[in-house]
Amino acid sequence: MVENIAEDVVAETRRDRALLEVNDVAVHFGGVKAVDGITLEMRPGHIYGVLGPNGSGKSTLLGAMTRLTPMTRGSFVFEGNDYTKRPARTVHHMGIARTFQTVRLLDDRSVRDNILLGQDTLSKATRKEADSRVEEVMERVGVTSVARMRPDELSYGMQRRVEFARAIIGRPRLLLLDEPTAGMNSSEREEIGALMKQLLAEGITQFIVEHDVQMMVDTCDYLFAMNFGKLIAEGVPVDVVRHPAVQEAYLGKGAGTHA
Amino acid sequence: MSDWYAMNVVLVQTTLTTLLLALSIQVPLRFGVFSFAGVGAFGIGGYTAAMAMVHGEWTTWPAVLLGMVVAGVCTFALGLVVQRLSGLYMGMATIAFTLIVSVLAVNGGDWTGGPMGLYGAIGEITTTHIVIAVLVVVAALAWTELGGLGRKVDTVREDPELANALGINVNGYRRLSFLVSGLIGGLAGAITTLLRSTITPAEVNFHLVILALTAIVVGGARSWVGALIGAIIFVWLPTFLSFVQEWEKVAYGFIVAAAAIYLPNGVLGVAKDLWHKVRTREERAQVAAALTKES
Repeated sequence: MVENIAEDVVAETRRDRALLEVNDVAVHFGGVKAVDGITLEMRPGHIYGVLGPNGSGKSTLLGAMTRLTPMTRGSFVFEGNDYTKRPARTVHHMGIARTFQTVRLLDDRSVRDNILLGQDTLSKATRKEADSRVEEVMERVGVTSVARMRPDELSYGMQRRVEFARAIIGRPRLLLLDEPTAGMNSSEREEIGALMKQLLAEGITQFIVEHDVQMMVDTCDYLFAMNFGKLIAEGVPVDVVRHPAVQEAYLGKGAGTHA
Repeated sequence: MSDWYAMNVVLVQTTLTTLLLALSIQVPLRFGVFSFAGVGAFGIGGYTAAMAMVHGEWTTWPAVLLGMVVAGVCTFALGLVVQRLSGLYMGMATIAFTLIVSVLAVNGGDWTGGPMGLYGAIGEITTTHIVIAVLVVVAALAWTELGGLGRKVDTVREDPELANALGINVNGYRRLSFLVSGLIGGLAGAITTLLRSTITPAEVNFHLVILALTAIVVGGARSWVGALIGAIIFVWLPTFLSFVQEWEKVAYGFIVAAAAIYLPNGVLGVAKDLWHKVRTREERAQVAAALTKES
């Protein structure tokens, strides 16, 4: 039964046009090959995840995708447009939003202001719409009661929610999440997982870098596994976590049976 | 009131021109650029306006405008050259720019009046004129502190990489901050010069950097209100410190040091934090209660 659903997802995935194509991307820092020839494709309407141990190059790949980290070779194509040579600031305008591994908020601005920053550079129509949407977005991530407070007065989990809200207020078509539930307790994780699925239903494709294997299996419908800067497996979550190379690199032997 | 004004007219005018000078340094700081080029712009604006009146027989306001534009263009060009520098290196390069301006003034022969300076640039400037100029500048800067633009400016300063990720043109904003800094510095220099009818190389020097910086540090670096508070404090302080006589400089030094240690965001920062604490006391109590419940 599980296998059948998985095949459907894969078949459906192949029918759609690519949202983001990553072609042979490499990021070398001196002699260190943080990302070393990654090729993958994301199609609209899915939640993708990247698994991999610390230092496997997941966050560096995300940095390269948003053009903040200079790349050694390769190219990125978003909705048919090659943006490899474009400056980092244009990525947000194209419809790609992200969160960061460590929370990055303005500490002397209110929660509301921090969230509004996610749409300040977008088109006038989007800004007008977002102004009325900010209350709704705050409600969805659960920060309405602290809207006037400053991020440094909030718990880490709450700060993560604010970052999440800032990333979704501009209605991106691709949302890149770098460990979105780090520092959260299990009920908060479940809330965020549910929110991701809601956003998917609204047409926001997501790409998650995360350590929590259980959450990845529960939330994502397609997984990539990385180690030493290379892709070692990809496919539906249950298959990927059972893959021998993935178990050896990341999960430890025998862990796949639990997933 | 009018007696008081008549007695203090010079101090009132100096407060306003010091505010403009402080703003010319504050603008790049608000964008995270450690630039003192505004002081060089002060010199360029002052000398350009004085030369236009003395040598070119220009009238007051065209001379002021010319001083502003020339200072703005020079500072913007400097920005293009030094925009890749950061932190202290940027500070040093822009202080060097200021020193070059005063060296040029010393060696400018008849054009700049050499070490003696230029005399006889008698402008027709009243306090009302200065107030209007300051109001225009302050209104424009206050606008950059509001709404989306204010948020973007803060992000460029606090986290340029984040700003890029949010689609903000960090380098564009920073280049623009050089231009604005130059225009305001040039305006301050031109008005100051034509008020006094004279400018000398000694006036365009490092002490202006210190004056502008202390005004901003003590008042508040993130808003024009902070620059105003700082300008008022440092222009009027000597009047109130006159009772300590020769110890005035020592007292001044202590005040600046104490402010830097105890008011890292200036007088304005303290006021804003207080207001924030009062305004959000209910929310903060709720968060604290939720935390105790969790643990």
